[in-house]
Amino acid sequence: MPKPLTQLLNTARKYSLWIYQWGLACCGLELGAAIGSPRYDIMRLGVIPFPSGARQADLVVIAGTVTDKMSPPIRRLYEQMPDPKYVISMGSCSNCGGPYWDSYSVTKGVDQIIPVDVYVPGCPPRPEALLEGIVLLQQRIQQEDMASRWRGDPIVVGA
Amino acid sequence: MAADAAAGEEAAAGGTPEAESPAAQATATTEAPAPVDERRQPWLEALQAELGEALVGHEIAGGDVWVRVDSSAWRRAVVACRDRLGCDYFCFLSGLDWKADVDLAAEKVWDPEAQPSAPAAGANGGYRTGVAGGDTRFQVFARLFSTSAKVGITLKADLDEEDPRVESIVSLYRGAEWHEREAWEMLGFTFDGHPGLRHIYLPGEFEGHPLRKDFPLLSRDVKPWPGLVDVEAMPGEPEGGGDAEGADAEGAGAEGGEG
Repeated sequence: MPKPLTQLLNTARKYSLWIYQWGLACCGLELGAAIGSPRYDIMRLGVIPFPSGARQADLVVIAGTVTDKMSPPIRRLYEQMPDPKYVISMGSCSNCGGPYWDSYSVTKGVDQIIPVDVYVPGCPPRPEALLEGIVLLQQRIQQEDMASRWRGDPIVVGA
Repeated sequence: MAADAAAGEEAAAGGTPEAESPAAQATATTEAPAPVDERRQPWLEALQAELGEALVGHEIAGGDVWVRVDSSAWRRAVVACRDRLGCDYFCFLSGLDWKADVDLAAEKVWDPEAQPSAPAAGANGGYRTGVAGGDTRFQVFARLFSTSAKVGITLKADLDEEDPRVESIVSLYRGAEWHEREAWEMLGFTFDGHPGLRHIYLPGEFEGHPLRKDFPLLSRDVKPWPGLVDVEAMPGEPEGGGDAEGADAEGAGAEGGEG
């Protein structure tokens, strides 16, 4: 695909991210503040909240503690999303297990189940942190070569 | 560093009255005899009349009542509370594991020197027991409440350590079903007559009972707790009392402050 066309496509894609919210714990409240409140107003970044389901979503934010019992639904959620799809892991629990690192029931990071594009640290992260994570994801999308992604080539960021 | 030492002294000075205050409260309570709880004493007497020898322990203190019954009379005690005392609200049901001599050294987070010493084996087999006493490692307890009398009661029963088993009260309080499932998976209690004892919070293939004191947290065996690596010296602790990494972090902080 010609480079300018790819750039145009990527610009279009990164400003129309349908975000699927997957609030599992207290981080879900910060996610809700980022999505639903006029103060943070996630839509000014071109992120569209509340798709009718995972099958219409481009981006999912895993916000909260992922337990072993919750892992199969998360896996299914990811598989339902159409390609190209992106994952933001929000909060320490979702990143690595967080304070429940040695628990008998908590998964030590959602990246053990699904691939993660951006990790947002914090316990919980403020909505601004999530917005920065979304901006980082948009930079990544801008750098993507869709043809190589569809071929399954490794994604090179910042090339 | 001088500022740190001063802060430590302040913390120590602030901590001293707090350390003394519980003792002062304890003496105050021992001087004043506890008045008879006129709302809960009749409950206890009614249960004593209803259960007889099966009521093996009781306590009324601080505006609450605990009754410990024999495990064979568990369901009978709940029936008595519901029908005689008018307890129309089931708050919750759970269990206790009084095991004290757990080998916490196996968990690498804990300092072996700080490990609590095992209690001397007494008449109750060495188990530290809570309110209303106890003879065994496991206890099941339930909280019932009367919404008309505004009085609650906590029922307890000792369970066998090898086979913790008690009769289900689901047919008395429908809300007990999930609580008994939780106690079954978390503590390994068996509730005879429960309609379906299966996992409720844990995955179906989970093995073991995590709320038992001897349940190992295997993550700590595989990998030391990451929080231990970058731990800083607590305020008021002597310098160099921690490990070398803590001292390094403190020194870096002091340099940053000067710069």
